[in-house]
Amino acid sequence: MSKFLPPESFAATGAYDLLPFNFTRLEGDSYLATNMVGESLIVDRSTLDDLVNKRLAPSHPSYTDARAKHLIAEKGDKASAELLALKTRTRYQRLQNFTNLHMFVTTLRCDHSCQYCQVSRQSEDKGAFDMTLEMADKSLDMVFRSPSKAVKIEFQGGEPLLNFDLIRYIVSKAKVRAAAEGRDLEIVIATTLSLATTEILEYCRDNHILLSVSLDGPSDLHNKNRPRPGKDSYQRFVANLQAAREIVGYDRVSALMTTTLASLPRVREIVDEYVGLGFEGIFLRALSPYGFAVKTRVYAAYDTEQWLKFYKDGLQYIIELNQAGIPFREYYTTLILQKMFTCADPGFVDLMNPAGIGIAAVVFNYDGSVYASDESRMLAEMKDQTFRLGSVLENTYEEIFLNEKLLSTLEESFTLSAPMCSECAFEPFCGADPVFSHAVYGDVVGRKPASDFCKRNMAIFRHLIQLMREDREVEALFRRWSALC
Amino acid sequence: MLERVISFDPAAYSLETIQRAAYRYIDKFSIGFNVKEASIDCILQFDKEVDDLDGVIQDFRKEVLDQHLRARIAKETESIRHLILAHAFSRTGLV
Ligand code: SF4
Repeated sequence: MSKFLPPESFAATGAYDLLPFNFTRLEGDSYLATNMVGESLIVDRSTLDDLVNKRLAPSHPSYTDARAKHLIAEKGDKASAELLALKTRTRYQRLQNFTNLHMFVTTLRCDHSCQYCQVSRQSEDKGAFDMTLEMADKSLDMVFRSPSKAVKIEFQGGEPLLNFDLIRYIVSKAKVRAAAEGRDLEIVIATTLSLATTEILEYCRDNHILLSVSLDGPSDLHNKNRPRPGKDSYQRFVANLQAAREIVGYDRVSALMTTTLASLPRVREIVDEYVGLGFEGIFLRALSPYGFAVKTRVYAAYDTEQWLKFYKDGLQYIIELNQAGIPFREYYTTLILQKMFTCADPGFVDLMNPAGIGIAAVVFNYDGSVYASDESRMLAEMKDQTFRLGSVLENTYEEIFLNEKLLSTLEESFTLSAPMCSECAFEPFCGADPVFSHAVYGDVVGRKPASDFCKRNMAIFRHLIQLMREDREVEALFRRWSALC
Repeated sequence: MLERVISFDPAAYSLETIQRAAYRYIDKFSIGFNVKEASIDCILQFDKEVDDLDGVIQDFRKEVLDQHLRARIAKETESIRHLILAHAFSRTGLV
């Protein structure tokens, strides 16, 4: 007798059970079907009908695909459900680690006065807007209560370099504790670079600190978006970028941009600026509906449709650059593609389910307050303290992280139970953004059909799928992007 | 306010299926129901910004069909879905 079963044993029988999957109409007669981990299939309506009603013949071209993508399992096949469970577990693996990104707002003071900035203060008053040593110590105690083996500390502001002594203090203490506990420590400073001196940069080099810098586009646009005394934000940026790359390391510096009304017609120039300055990609971000951006009406200055046009134009241009032999990526697209093509969750706060607040990231503010996310503290600047979890000076770790508001928000906004999300084929690619919903609609779930968050993401998902269906080269490029990070 | 009435056969579609479909059009119309033995009448009141009423109604009908199919998948896969999620979350301490 052979050790192996004959090939007929593996042939499709045509008798199958359904596995959990969702579907959503794309355009015309096409439907996207996805399982719980985002494995997907595009079929027409009659094939979908046959699939669900168990009439799909094994000879149908979609049959094998539906099996391979775990939308159906042949009778008696237990392995498919087990594999799906394993992949689902991989997808939610992050949850075990709980919080790994800890943001420290070392000061609210800033040398810039950006119109869209939510929080910064033009003040010399260190006492009023700087984090104290005691708060830093207590915050560090919380950081090292996290079960995560990998600990990431990100310094935010204001301009965090204005309180560099405190950064040194926190870094030296965090390093000692991480070494003693055998944890991996990653440190990032989010800065405009305008105040970066050689001494600061050398310190960053010696302590393996990453720099996340701000670049909004060509000189005139950057200076308009980011006013500072001397009107030289861009010039300082370029000079200090070069110094930072030389001292800290070329690949230790990444950039972030903010899209204002003035940016909208200029996406190609913005991308050119990034390419010209040697960056490998760009994050085309929409303005958030918080803080000064709302107060000064900058947020309302453009709507989702306008931003989507900006994004689509930018992405098209980036594809053209790649086709012309210039490798360059759009990072939001890359995050989504990772979710489309792999079981791993990239852990981006806006695209996580359960929501990333408190779980993926937590903010220690300059005044000792702890917030569930960066957006939560911006909301607090508008006198909305909904997502303030407590204070490092007054509350214990348990009181902060078992905060009723945090837990109920996570539960209510869980996309597998939220109306519309729970049956949306894009759900595995999307996330829950309760702070956005709360800020705009007043409840943490929001009505998805009217939500800008849903509208924006759904339009992007549809667009990416369409681009890949229209052009195999684009699909190959997107697959490469998703495999890169 | 523009109003239209459309009907579905209760033998083919449940009220819940129609309600789920209607949720997706929350930004286009509000809906009331008149459930009778032979039909479920839906009274649609359109927001004034909506101009293509027929297009939206046609879309809504397709959505009801889709919801019907979704309900079928959900019913058949409910237990396996719970099993998979329980397995996925079992080590997180969240369940
Ligand atoms: S927010 Fe919109 S796109 Fe995202 S899962 Fe929910 S319904 Fe789908």
